[in-house]
Amino acid sequence: MTTKDTPTNTRTVVTDPNVALRIRRASQDTGTVLWRDMIRTARQPEMLVFAVVMGVFFLLLFNYVFGGAIAAGAGFDYLQYLLPGVLVITALQGAQQTSMGLAADFTEGVNDRFRSLPMSQSAVIAGRTIADALRNIAGLVLVALVGILMGFRFASFGGAVVAIALATGIGYGFSWLGAVIAAKVRQPDMVGMLSMFWLFPLMLASTAFAPVETMPGWLQPFVTYQPISVASDAVRGLVNGVPVGDRITWTLAWIVGLLVVSAPMSVRLYRKVG
Amino acid sequence: MTTRVSNPVITVQNLRKTFGSVEAVKDVSFNVEPGQVLGLLGPNGAGKTTTINMISTLLHIDAGEASVGGFDVRTQPEAVRQLIGLAGQSAAVDEKLTARENLELFGRLYKIPRVERRRRIDELIEQFDLGEFAERPASTYSGGERRRLDVVAALVAEPPAVFLDEPTTGLDPRSRSELWNTVRSLAANGVAIVLSTQYLEEADRLADEILVIDQGSVVAQGTPDALKRDLERDVLEVHVTSRADLDVARELLGFDESIITDIEARRIDIPIPDGADRSLDLLRQLQEGGVSISNFQLRQPTLDDVFLALTGATVTESEELTT
Ligand SMILES: Nc1ncnc2c1ncn2[C@@H]1O[C@H](COP(=O)(O)OP(=O)(O)OP(=O)(O)O)[C@@H](O)[C@H]1O
Ligand SMILES: [Mg+2]
Repeated sequence: MTTKDTPTNTRTVVTDPNVALRIRRASQDTGTVLWRDMIRTARQPEMLVFAVVMGVFFLLLFNYVFGGAIAAGAGFDYLQYLLPGVLVITALQGAQQTSMGLAADFTEGVNDRFRSLPMSQSAVIAGRTIADALRNIAGLVLVALVGILMGFRFASFGGAVVAIALATGIGYGFSWLGAVIAAKVRQPDMVGMLSMFWLFPLMLASTAFAPVETMPGWLQPFVTYQPISVASDAVRGLVNGVPVGDRITWTLAWIVGLLVVSAPMSVRLYRKVG
Repeated sequence: MTTRVSNPVITVQNLRKTFGSVEAVKDVSFNVEPGQVLGLLGPNGAGKTTTINMISTLLHIDAGEASVGGFDVRTQPEAVRQLIGLAGQSAAVDEKLTARENLELFGRLYKIPRVERRRRIDELIEQFDLGEFAERPASTYSGGERRRLDVVAALVAEPPAVFLDEPTTGLDPRSRSELWNTVRSLAANGVAIVLSTQYLEEADRLADEILVIDQGSVVAQGTPDALKRDLERDVLEVHVTSRADLDVARELLGFDESIITDIEARRIDIPIPDGADRSLDLLRQLQEGGVSISNFQLRQPTLDDVFLALTGATVTESEELTT
């Protein structure tokens, strides 16, 4: 660390921060960006409203339109099956919003200033993903409340809390994947389209809306282990109070895997200067 | 360990940047001492923004050297960022946040301690008259208000090196003169300033040293007085009747780089270093040579003349090629 005596005042120029200092400053910056993104989220409630409306839309559509067909003969309460899947889908929708939001952020002028500031550049993405995760929690709680109004019953409060945490977690993992796309593409509408490419297939070929047994055999291995399915299964077990087997482990593995791959990649792509 | 900041604060050596086939900056070098204002003067596309963005770590430097406070921009960008404040060409503030929140955001990111930060922000809002709109989101600001906030944002951390890219573009005369005062008082406090502008007057009033750049290269460099001695001569504008008159006139005047011919407008601009007598001589000479003069005017040089005088050869040539 070197202290430089400059004409205006004496300032400390940190030239070779050690790892501890780097981490402290990065968390401080993340907190600052989070504070900023929370203000922005509060001033744009449309994002939250949109996420909740989408969730409620899926609940109504699947429960009342397809519910009968899917659960026919299976002899179970479809709403108890559906809501956990919708919670996971809602969380992923949030991740998609991170992607589009970040792409928009990157094109905003303020981003140029960020790159000229003595701040951790990863904080721009980290702050945003955390702000979106917090918004996601609010969205999930609201969707769950609508589910309860429709007749859904949580087996236990603790289970509900862990389930929402898990859904938020998988959404958080995907929001870093969204950050990679955003940092690479940087055009909000383009990013929106690209997110559809991973979101739709994963969403439809999953156990979010229908049990794996109802799908063709060749598809079943994929459906069983893909992230939306494992998260839906885990959440489903937790809220219904039934054993979940390896599903929580798989969900956590997906979250860690997404973070380990996406976080460094997104920051590297973001940092790239022309 | 305490070391004095090295003199000069900003050094730039043979800076170079290409975008594909565009050589945006070819060879730019300068030094800025503490308390000095360097004016980057040049037309659209000259390379002003590219130069500033390279020094302020936003753009990768293709070749050459740049340092701020002794820190190499390429190898120690994180140290450089602690010493600079940048007000880029397009306002870089968060549109959804108010002026106060924006300043708070940047103050936090500069790691200014809380109490000092609050005091500093209040002081800046007061000093720059942001009070009227400080509590409204920036998206509701007028162009000039946003620009002002942007400049103020560059000053939150009282950086010893400040980059202002066309800071007065879009400002009304009052805000412009306030900004000029700000630049002067920053310089008086020892801040090294790089300021780009398209206005000769602005460079003249503020800069200790002016760098005229065009197409990425420095075409003139010196104190405003030295440059003006070179450039501040009256211009005799002669309008002739036909294209043939234009050719005859060029012939009579002889080859001189500083004489600008505008073929479209059938006009010749002749720099006159020594006033009215010489103009009369020239006009008589043209008339006796058979040139039909439709109109003439003796006028002060404009920035156009400065640019054209410095880059005139290429402009005339390309015009002749296309006609
Ligand atoms: N990202 C880019 N990609 C391609 N070309 C670029 C890029 N940025 C700048 N240029 C080109 O580099 C040249 C210099 O641009 P620059 O923005 O530095 O000019 P300037 O002097 O700031 O002009 P102005 O007064 O219009 O702001 C221009 O020809 C411009 O088209
Ligand atoms: Mg520019």
